[in-house]
Amino acid sequence: MLILQSIGAATERLAHAFGLYPLMMAKVLARMRKPPWFFALIIRQCEKVGVQSLPVALLTAVFTGMVMALQSWVAFHRFGAESMIATVVSLSILRELGPVLVGLMVAGRVGASFAAELGTMRVSEQIDALWTLSTDPVRYLVMPRLIAVIVMMPLLVVLADAVGMFGGYVISVHVLDQNPHTYLRNSFEYLQLIDFYSGLLKAAVFGFIIGLVSCAEGYYCAGGAAGVGQATTRAVVISAMSILIADYILTAWIFQ
Amino acid sequence: MSDHSLFGPTQIAPNCEKTVKQGGDAAKPFDDQTAPKISLRNVHKSFKGRKVLDNISMEIMPGESHIVIGLSGAGKSVLIKCILGLLRPDSGTILINDEDWFDMSIEERLRRMPCIGVLFQGAALFDSMCVWENVAFVLLQQSMPRADARKQAEQMLEMVGLPDIGDKMPAELSGGMKKRVGLARAICHRPEIIFYDEPLAGLDPVMSDVITILLKRLHETMNVTSLTIAHNMKLVQAFSDQVSMLYEGKIYAQISAQELQETKDPLIRQFVEGRAEGPIRFGFESDMSGQPGANDKEEVI
Ligand SMILES: Nc1ncnc2c1ncn2[C@@H]1O[C@H](COP(=O)(O)OP(=O)(O)O)[C@@H](O)[C@H]1O
Ligand SMILES: [Mg+2]
Repeated sequence: MLILQSIGAATERLAHAFGLYPLMMAKVLARMRKPPWFFALIIRQCEKVGVQSLPVALLTAVFTGMVMALQSWVAFHRFGAESMIATVVSLSILRELGPVLVGLMVAGRVGASFAAELGTMRVSEQIDALWTLSTDPVRYLVMPRLIAVIVMMPLLVVLADAVGMFGGYVISVHVLDQNPHTYLRNSFEYLQLIDFYSGLLKAAVFGFIIGLVSCAEGYYCAGGAAGVGQATTRAVVISAMSILIADYILTAWIFQ
Repeated sequence: MSDHSLFGPTQIAPNCEKTVKQGGDAAKPFDDQTAPKISLRNVHKSFKGRKVLDNISMEIMPGESHIVIGLSGAGKSVLIKCILGLLRPDSGTILINDEDWFDMSIEERLRRMPCIGVLFQGAALFDSMCVWENVAFVLLQQSMPRADARKQAEQMLEMVGLPDIGDKMPAELSGGMKKRVGLARAICHRPEIIFYDEPLAGLDPVMSDVITILLKRLHETMNVTSLTIAHNMKLVQAFSDQVSMLYEGKIYAQISAQELQETKDPLIRQFVEGRAEGPIRFGFESDMSGQPGANDKEEVI
């Protein structure tokens, strides 16, 4: 019974969300053609997204790179192909781990703060107040956040890629006694540009998902402080799930 | 625009004319003194099947100060939000300056918005901005230089009895102070139609009197039209031309302040005298079935 109940509740949430996100998207699209753009707010949001996420993104990346090196050593050591560690580490970080892990971290960090901020503004009537002060809340609150997270995700992922590959290098060379020159050569020799670009494309798409989901959850929040809490949780969970699903779809599409 | 004091000798043109003239496709300045500023016709609004506004019709003439009274939960704030376009009524028409704002695009509505000022029930200050930035919000959006905007905001703050708090954040203020900052923000851009949602709630008796006098002054010197939600009978007496009582979703009575004091109607008497026993039914008000829910989401701005 409990399982049925929770499936029912999840379906209800899904239906609720499927109504909300296209609605938010339509509002944003309707405003894309004309100014004002509030560039100052976009810059400020970019700064905030960067400052909030850079430490977690880099920390996640460096340890992931280190673990990748250790784990692939275990596998490749069994058939004496240790020289391939470098290629495996860089490929998996660029194509997969960089964008996905940074996406999940940003969903937790930035998505939660977007939803909580906008939700609080909704339930304390600040969004209504913006409207009565001749300011369009979608332009003023939602669009700068959405743009900021779409722009910042690829930048964060570039840095995370670099730091992650560096983590793999440090472990391979200093712990697993690989030759540094061979390692570096193997890191880049088998790479193609598509490996790098596909990661950035994923990053931008994940940024869009985080921005849209968490802004919509906050913007359409109802029910006081409890409602803000629920909206925040939903923003993080739904962003994270959608990132993993979108990752599969994008990967399958890029492979073709 | 050198003298910004409301109490000064200069009469400042309200913001509305300026903005209406700017807009290319906007109508000419609205100066017809015989047509109502705000008019509602057969407005219905319900939440989840519960009628909150039930066939409301009313007119507010230029320069009139109209007060709405009613039990808490009667739908007074919902009434204001419908007029402002924050909630879409289920049926009926709402005209501001003879125009139906619900027919307009977002841009057209926003272009007309500077002629309106609103004091929200919970003040609704932006808590990411300091007090003076809150008060000067519209001026800053209209790209007035920061120094000028700040000067004007500080004058407004002084008027509501809060000098020297311009740099504080809203979280540092008491409820009554927030309310007064909200009032300063509502009038800072010199609107010609102002909505006050319980302007005296949370104020001490002395400050209530100060604000009552201030509202009266604004009304007299700037010829503003206002719709006020209030429970304070002193304010009603001092400030109102017309009083509407909202009860069970309908306008139970629309009378002058004088008539409000003299009426023999038992329901109004009970409200005015603030007694627990009398004909007023509370079941309607305490019915909580109208909690905000998912299906109300589409109608918000
Ligand atoms: N957004 C909303 N969604 C659902 N119900 C609402 C909403 N806003 C107000 N209500 C309901 O409408 C009724 C009137 O509320 P309100 O206008 O705030 O009362 P008051 O007269 O005290 O200002 C209340 O019972 C409230 O529950
Ligand atoms: Mg109210």
